[in-house]
Amino acid sequence: MTWLKKYRLEAVMLAPLLLYILGFTVYPILQTIAMSFLDRFTGAITLANYREIIGKVEFKGALFNTVAFALISLTLEMAAAIVIALILKRRFFGRGFLRALLMVPMGVPTLVSGVAMTYIFSINGYLNELLYRLNIIKLPVDWASGGLRTLLMVSLADMWKVTPMVILILLAGLESIQNEVYEAAGIDGATAWQTFRYVTLPLLKPYITMAIILRAIDAFRVFELVLVLAGRATPVLSTFAYDEYNNYGNAYTSAAASAILLVIIMIFIYGYLKVGGSEEVSG
Amino acid sequence: MRGRDFSGKISDSLYLPVTLIAAIAMVIPVYILFKVSVSAPGEILTAHPSFLIKDFTLEHWVKVLKSGNLKAPFVKSFTVATLTTVAAVLIASPAAYVIARMPRKIKYPLVLSLFLTRMFPEVGIALPISVQFIKMNLIDTYTGLVLAHLILNLPFAAWILVGTFETIPKDLEEAAMVDGAGKIESLIKVITPLALPGIAVAAIFVWLNSWNEFTYALYLTVSQRTLPLQTYYYVVRGGWFDAATYATILTIPVMVVTFFLQRYMKGGYLSGAVKG
Repeated sequence: MTWLKKYRLEAVMLAPLLLYILGFTVYPILQTIAMSFLDRFTGAITLANYREIIGKVEFKGALFNTVAFALISLTLEMAAAIVIALILKRRFFGRGFLRALLMVPMGVPTLVSGVAMTYIFSINGYLNELLYRLNIIKLPVDWASGGLRTLLMVSLADMWKVTPMVILILLAGLESIQNEVYEAAGIDGATAWQTFRYVTLPLLKPYITMAIILRAIDAFRVFELVLVLAGRATPVLSTFAYDEYNNYGNAYTSAAASAILLVIIMIFIYGYLKVGGSEEVSG
Repeated sequence: MRGRDFSGKISDSLYLPVTLIAAIAMVIPVYILFKVSVSAPGEILTAHPSFLIKDFTLEHWVKVLKSGNLKAPFVKSFTVATLTTVAAVLIASPAAYVIARMPRKIKYPLVLSLFLTRMFPEVGIALPISVQFIKMNLIDTYTGLVLAHLILNLPFAAWILVGTFETIPKDLEEAAMVDGAGKIESLIKVITPLALPGIAVAAIFVWLNSWNEFTYALYLTVSQRTLPLQTYYYVVRGGWFDAATYATILTIPVMVVTFFLQRYMKGGYLSGAVKG
């Protein structure tokens, strides 16, 4: 193997990283998949773990909540980020300062954003107080009581944390659009809406698609935000998997739930590769 | 034409108020977190909390600092983050250099794979690792947590560093080798100093990722809590003021560094890379 001899140093430099990823990421994932098909007591191959969790009310809730949360939070985040990114493309007084303020959530750990949100969304919290003072509500709303209301709360919390990141992705996209295109639209007498609808949006589409897929992957994996804000009352797939392991001591059903989550994520990763996350990653 | 453009008028008159409201909304949760940590209990635990700090007090901070419950989690988080950073830089830098010098055909799939490893659900990786670490007595240890944090941070650091090494021209090391330096010598004396700023940025991000990491810590801890776990512990117990104070302590380094490194947080570094 002269090839190996020639590149011996390179191989030595690269090997630890690749071995680590194989041993500590690829192998555990395969283990999780394997465990999900093994009987808890006999070690025989079985679908019992899947049957067990699918029979649970909490799992159905978790699956529904995960999908609903992803839909609600993505819609909110994308809408807000497009508006803000378009505004930040303008040149106006105080733009730099406002931009810095808009990026503040990036400096807050996700767990902490969850903690801060508990003060805002609790029964005697600041959102209820604000709505009360604005005469919108008379009695406090219990945001954590479950159902869509709780999903909206978690979505708003997530929106707060990640919208800045989506704004940055979209701003990068907006900056890639040549000014001439807008000048041409202006000469043709396009209104602001027409310019947005027929010029900006189509040119921004690859960035929007990329942001949606990346955000969707994160949304399906949401964990600590739900754990802190909604607790066990409103499970998502991740917290359900954690609960099975930690509170019911069953690593096998936890693995089954993780495997289902993994399949969903794989679908989105496939979508990401299809759309061609190429430039984003290597650029 | 312009006169009939209602959408243009709307956006011209609304963009500033909208941005202002958004900016305020982005700052308020941080303010409230801090406010809770310095407010007298009577001001918060009431049906109608006040928006301004009326009754400033340091009692929660003094209590947390004096309680003796801060030191152990702080030391654990700090040590684990530092060890993770050192290990990540030592393992990821050489590998990233090799990847950066590879032909495009091999490099691209490798970089993409590094990126994709970050997308797997953490609960799916943490579960078998937790099961394994229980057998190996690595639960509650620094070693165990550093090993787990490397899962997240090795691909992340390598991914940033590939970008760094790509910007260093190949001619430089070739010139050094022509001058009689060996491959390893040219790497250490020529390439490393040039890559140092990039390595520093990667190191800082790795440190922060580990500092506020929650999921793996939760799976691999029974009693020796890290700072994020300590915060969560008070959230679960309903200790509002302790939780706010711990959360603020946890946030300070992240906030400071993010502010100064803002210009690095764009394009490629995004998309879940800086998860915080």
